[in-house]
Amino acid sequence: MHETKDRIRAFIVENFLFGKDDELKDDSSFLDEGIIDSTGILELVSFLEEEFSISVEDEELVPENLDCIQNVVAYLGRKL
Amino acid sequence: MNLLESQNKIKLCRRCILPETFPGIRFDHRGICNHCRREETALKKAPEKKAQYRERLDELISSVKDRGPVYDTIIAYSGGKDSSYTLRLLNDRYNVRILALTFDNHFVSTRSWENIKAVTDATGADHIAVRPPWPIIKKLFSLTAEKDIFSTPTLLRASTICTACIGIVKSVVLRTALEMSIPLVAFGWSPGQAPIQSAIMKTNGALIRRNQAALRKAFPPEIRESIARYFIPERYYEACKDRFPHNIHPLAFFDYEEKQIKHQLDKLGWRAPDDTDTNSTNCLLNAFANQCHLERHGFHPYVWEVANLVRQGIMQREEGIENIYSGQDQKMVEYAKERLGLCTRQRTG
Repeated sequence: MHETKDRIRAFIVENFLFGKDDELKDDSSFLDEGIIDSTGILELVSFLEEEFSISVEDEELVPENLDCIQNVVAYLGRKL
Repeated sequence: MNLLESQNKIKLCRRCILPETFPGIRFDHRGICNHCRREETALKKAPEKKAQYRERLDELISSVKDRGPVYDTIIAYSGGKDSSYTLRLLNDRYNVRILALTFDNHFVSTRSWENIKAVTDATGADHIAVRPPWPIIKKLFSLTAEKDIFSTPTLLRASTICTACIGIVKSVVLRTALEMSIPLVAFGWSPGQAPIQSAIMKTNGALIRRNQAALRKAFPPEIRESIARYFIPERYYEACKDRFPHNIHPLAFFDYEEKQIKHQLDKLGWRAPDDTDTNSTNCLLNAFANQCHLERHGFHPYVWEVANLVRQGIMQREEGIENIYSGQDQKMVEYAKERLGLCTRQRTG
């Protein structure tokens, strides 16, 4: 699980925070804190689909699954 | 000295055109940036992915065409090259019922209005415009000219002024789609503006609500109330919960070649404006927005988009450098500042 979290964190940091992860907590809301917008969420989805070989359904595109690192980790836990 | 003249002093990626001033950029021993390296695999897979997305859009449109009450798609229509070409594509390839919506930000060029009429006439699309009162627009742009209100990641891809304007455009277009039960919302993002993986997206109330709340919160309190009516009303999330549309931006996965696009648009009566800056084909505020961003951040707000176009082979590197590092048209900058009443304040500031 830690490895999963690290991979997600690394993706967010590399793609949206330019290498600076000082303020990114596991429960930091991507949308509320302006880390990712709705377009960015799809970039995250594409990463999850390719990296973890899953298919994210339209109805799963909700903040409860995708809006912070811990939500993504929990979502992947249910999918994998 | 403009930026083109001083570019020898700015280190640029040797493959794309991102500068050393771009946040978080790293160059390898060959002078290639981390973004170019990261995209190498994706670029190899792009042709296959584009074909898949074209197929997905074909299927999506088949599933919604002629099912809605009046329109199959609404398009955010600026009258610029890319949204005009998207409109033409939707009409020619899919023959869908189109409503074109222009957000009149009071800086749409005269030529663009003529283009809007020509293209909607030629394609048979209906057209509406939403024009907020000038005092609201003036306040909105004056505030966003003077300070950044969005997060740093957002400002990598566009200026504060453009992000504020586009945020409202997207909201007004979505609100209209919900009100009129239109199943598709189309945008003319270029292949450099938004990645292919976001090119077809089923929106949903929960995600949109959270996104809208973050956007509204970003605006300063002195403007927040007066622009509230351009956002999605809270009751819509329940009342329209089954009507949230698909967002599409087809230019991410259809052939995108500048000469061909202009040739096709020429047949519709679209003419390239001579009254806008090199990065816009519709907006008279763009040069000033770019200048504000450059002064505050040290990189051009279009450099991310143009670097992507260069990386994808859609634009020549030299042309990209010319577009980005030539400096802003000062007449256009002054025009916008004067209209926004910012000249005196900035001179004495």
